[in-house]
Amino acid sequence: MDSPIDVADCLRRWKDGDESAAEELIGHLHPVISRIVRTHLPRRDHEDDIIQEILMKTFSRLHQYKGDAPISHWVSRLALTTCLDRLRAQKIRPEVRWTDLTPEESTAFDAAWLGSTSPDATDAIHARDLVDKLLSTLPPDDRSLILLVDLEGRSLEEISQSTGWGISKIKMRLFRIRAQLRKMIQNLEQRK
Amino acid sequence: MSSVNQIPEDQKWQALLARSTPTFAGNTTLPFGFLTQTLARIKTENREREIFERIGLRSLFVAISVLIAVVGVSISVQLQSRSDFDPAVKSLLQADDVPIS
Repeated sequence: MDSPIDVADCLRRWKDGDESAAEELIGHLHPVISRIVRTHLPRRDHEDDIIQEILMKTFSRLHQYKGDAPISHWVSRLALTTCLDRLRAQKIRPEVRWTDLTPEESTAFDAAWLGSTSPDATDAIHARDLVDKLLSTLPPDDRSLILLVDLEGRSLEEISQSTGWGISKIKMRLFRIRAQLRKMIQNLEQRK
Repeated sequence: MSSVNQIPEDQKWQALLARSTPTFAGNTTLPFGFLTQTLARIKTENREREIFERIGLRSLFVAISVLIAVVGVSISVQLQSRSDFDPAVKSLLQADDVPIS
């Protein structure tokens, strides 16, 4: 991930006041931050503002970066923490009802049963809105955890390392989250 | 994961997630104007931080100087006032031949 640019050289140049080094770093880190923000925050949140906020934090804390791990890992953790703080400030929905869904989201719900494998861009957006609605009923940490496992395919060990939670705690949380998602999907099916 | 996927609701969840996957992909290119705006913000923030640090250091220096001056003045006043006895007390001390420094 860090191969396209020489991060150590960039950091040195940035310390010396070379603005082009900052440009290179931003260009290098933007895709990493953008992916995390898109994954962990609802689609409608102000993505560019949050990415900028994370970049500001990154640059103000660059002196804390020791260089023992790739900078993308260090920034990922910073980005995830910022997203979680954002989610904690948002209200958790008590539940999602069939009447809460837009007609497009209802269609996306039904289409997911059919197992259609090649949705177009609009279908993907409606499916995403529905996913965001289902996730909005979960506490922020649970929401991020299920996405790390189901979307990013992270192993329990990786999650344990990045969050500091024990494996058994992660397993227990995942079990509870899956049970909650099943219940919500069952409710949607029954209230059609 | 395979046992989880046997349950219809889990299949549904996985299918929904799979359908929405393209929306989770990050931007590979910077949005127009993003770089300029971010750099400007970083520079402004750095400048502000430097100013605050400078103000902070100066305030600290001024506070320490004032403290030293106050301590100096109060010590010298106290030393001076030790010899400024009330005339009655002074004569009493002189009568008892107590040395006044």
